[in-house]
Amino acid sequence: MSEEILTVENLKKYFVTKQGTVRAVDKVSFSVKQGETCGLVGESGSGKTTIAHTLVGIYEPTEGRALFKGQNISKVFNQRPKALKKEIRIVFQDPGSSLNPRRSIKQILELPLKVHRICNDSDRVERVMELLRMVELPPEDYMYKSPQVIGGGEKQMVAIARALAPNPSFLVLDEPTSALDVSVQAKIINLLMQLQQNLNLTYLFITHDLSLMRNITNRVVIMYLGKISEVAPTVEFFQNPFHPYTKMLLSSIPTVSDEEENFKPKEVISRGEIASPVNVPSGCSFHLRCPQKMEICSRADPTVVEVEADHLVRCHLFSDGRKPT
Amino acid sequence: MTPLLEIKNLQVRFKIYEGELKVLNGVDMVIGEGEKVGLVGETGCGKTTTVKSVLRVLPTPPARISGGEILYRGKDILKMKPAQIRSLRKGEMSAIFQDPLAALNPVFTVGHQLYDVIKYSSASRGRKRLSKKEIRARSIAVLKETGMPDSERILSNYPIQLSGGMRQRVCISEALSASARLLMADEPTTNLDVTIQAQILRQLSELVAKKKSSILLISHSLGVVRNLTERVYIMYAGNMVEVARTKDLFADPLHPYTKALLKSVPKLTGEGISRGIRGRIPNYLNPPAGCRFHPRCDHMMPICEKERPAFFTGGDSDNHKVACFLCRR
Amino acid sequence: MKKELLVAALSRSRASFSKGWYKFSRNPLSVLGLIILFSVILTAIFAPYISPYPEHAGAFTNFRESGLPPSLTHFFGTDSVGRDIFSRVIFGYRFSLVLAVVVLSLAMPSGIILGLIAGYYRRRWIEIVIMRITDIFLAVPPLVLALAITVMLSPNLFNQMMAISLMWWPWYCRLVYSLTTSLRHEYFVREAELTGASKAHILLREILPNCVAPVLTKMTLDAGFVITVGASLSFIGLGVQPPRPGLGTMVADGAKRLPAEWWMAVFPALAIVIVILSFNLVGDGLRDMFAVEEV
Repeated sequence: MSEEILTVENLKKYFVTKQGTVRAVDKVSFSVKQGETCGLVGESGSGKTTIAHTLVGIYEPTEGRALFKGQNISKVFNQRPKALKKEIRIVFQDPGSSLNPRRSIKQILELPLKVHRICNDSDRVERVMELLRMVELPPEDYMYKSPQVIGGGEKQMVAIARALAPNPSFLVLDEPTSALDVSVQAKIINLLMQLQQNLNLTYLFITHDLSLMRNITNRVVIMYLGKISEVAPTVEFFQNPFHPYTKMLLSSIPTVSDEEENFKPKEVISRGEIASPVNVPSGCSFHLRCPQKMEICSRADPTVVEVEADHLVRCHLFSDGRKPT
Repeated sequence: MTPLLEIKNLQVRFKIYEGELKVLNGVDMVIGEGEKVGLVGETGCGKTTTVKSVLRVLPTPPARISGGEILYRGKDILKMKPAQIRSLRKGEMSAIFQDPLAALNPVFTVGHQLYDVIKYSSASRGRKRLSKKEIRARSIAVLKETGMPDSERILSNYPIQLSGGMRQRVCISEALSASARLLMADEPTTNLDVTIQAQILRQLSELVAKKKSSILLISHSLGVVRNLTERVYIMYAGNMVEVARTKDLFADPLHPYTKALLKSVPKLTGEGISRGIRGRIPNYLNPPAGCRFHPRCDHMMPICEKERPAFFTGGDSDNHKVACFLCRR
Repeated sequence: MKKELLVAALSRSRASFSKGWYKFSRNPLSVLGLIILFSVILTAIFAPYISPYPEHAGAFTNFRESGLPPSLTHFFGTDSVGRDIFSRVIFGYRFSLVLAVVVLSLAMPSGIILGLIAGYYRRRWIEIVIMRITDIFLAVPPLVLALAITVMLSPNLFNQMMAISLMWWPWYCRLVYSLTTSLRHEYFVREAELTGASKAHILLREILPNCVAPVLTKMTLDAGFVITVGASLSFIGLGVQPPRPGLGTMVADGAKRLPAEWWMAVFPALAIVIVILSFNLVGDGLRDMFAVEEV
């Protein structure tokens, strides 16, 4: 785990709508290292999915850029070279809508193989079966089935197999388990972790579930209203959260044991709602909900500062680069 | 504690092309007066079917209640006439569902919908009719109770103009405006963000305590149920498999399914992720004989394939009951 | 190994067929419609062998037997020149069905392809061009348009078919367009785009199969309407030309003899009603068949 495989620099994505400009992503910078799992966390409306979609080429950034292995990838899909499409793949949140109900699983898995000319016609069926085995689905039972007749977890396994079909090196996982039960989620997460090791993959894992993040990521990026609030290595992040929003998120998590309960920061009680990205509050966008609001917060937007090694925060409490006493 | 709702051996089947789905397979459940009860189970285990049976809103056909009783204060809901059920739904029982946008009518304002609910639920109790002003005042009051900011303005809004959390608050105030004795909340916070979920759950729990209503909180999330309820039922494939006081259940789960489910939940303390539960929820056309969990169970015994386990008392408390032969003494 | 997979695939498609039939047959009326429709199609195909007087379908006259009321020898009676109406109705079905088949097989594919393209390239000039032309066609009452075109060319069956086809494609274009505009945002389409699949693949393999159900249902309902329009044009003399037996032409001829010799108009009219009704019933059944069940 060393060099940075993906770097996002001052990425901006605005959408112009009738109601006004939606600032979905506003000057976001972070990077993902080769072989790690980077977690991108935020509530709905935080812009995490917009980042995912920009990275795979559904949107073109309004400003800023993203570099993948040194190559500028701030282009939409139809301007991207095929080799790049092969390298960066995405798994969508809703497996029900990401698999065409009118195509068989075999046809679905064959498409990336055909497009990228991964193997010749005679080997293709073999490769499809291999992919299905990779995600622990018996090929004989699943190949000719329609996605309509299999369970949600199995659908997501097929979607993962499809993402892996052209041997990518980078996977964007956009809430791959949020629509699934925990026992199924556990299975899929296990599979993903195993595949990461075997195939030397790098993950950008997007989710709203902090407990899940805690267990699978190396680094966590927290977003609020299109901006980054905090970035830190996972263990450090959970033991020593800085940003008031992070603390609010952590203290809101429902827990299943007393140890977990004791682990949560106590002092922050959730209040208010995330503002509309069309009408972002002035200054720090979190100030209306923040329990530690200061006079400056409604006036000026804080900048990202590195408080400890690799631990970045965007909050006025830390504006001088030190922890408040 | 006197039982408010008692479900005895409820059986529900659905008829489809392939045959008959034996969904609820003898569900037993008791909710005491003023009690906070949780019901946890994974997708497709029959949680919502249970609630719909109690409210008598299951579409029949394809559904068919093929056996059992649902006693509300001693009277069997399944034998009631439509008028009786309607009056129950007006003043005694109410429900909140997962998707508040589907529960609210998109073409009427929040105020209009609350107005109707308050008008009809108050009329049913034989009290004098409320004036328009009184209803409006009550609408604002019930909205405020759910922690809705700016509740007067909200009355003239349409559901589509509200955020998910606010919509759910409107649903909760509709449900509680009738001062219902029993509130059934079916995944009320599943579509919401954690910070909003925390707010809604906190307010729900305060409200229920204030109104002394009973609540049945249905969720797939163990964490949500743990923080709000006194007693928990665990459901698997149309059967109750374990029931205990919430504290006991989380400290000492006994059924292999409950254990595996708890292990699957990712922990904040970071203990890694378990392997989940092997296999998948059974097909209700031909559910496994005996204990429905046996094909996925790590402690399967020969008897599990043959007999359906009854509730055995397990753990330290008499109230901790487990439908598993491992706990037979 | 491969053989086993194929057998599995086959048995699955058989299962889905019988499930489709189960859903279709929930409504006995749809089954009735299907039976009527099949018998109408069969009689039309085998008209020369089934009809009692196949020679009456042409320029045959027998004034001795003109204007006979329905009897066992002439089920529907005879017309003013003594031809057996029953035989002529059977042959009339041939024209009606050929009309429906030709019109739909011309209008449907062109409408579908234009709709797919317009829906996929939404908010580009190509969508604007296609959809505005469609709107213009839809704005003119279809019967009037077909009428004008047929008159402009010469009134015969071929020109009638061309005219109706020309006014029918916009309906399919519109339908497929609206389906496509919503389908193109589905994640499976996104995924195919991101993978790098060709536009042809996305339109024909990803989007089109998801339009099949509504298009098929509409097609069945439309077959009935096309026959009505064809009969209406024939009624005013702009379709099948005498002495050939068009159903509309026969109603027109018979209408002059109402009410005394009622059978001349009533039976051909009934024949039209029956075929349209059966198409509609089948359409309803198809709609039920494609409906997604909730359990």
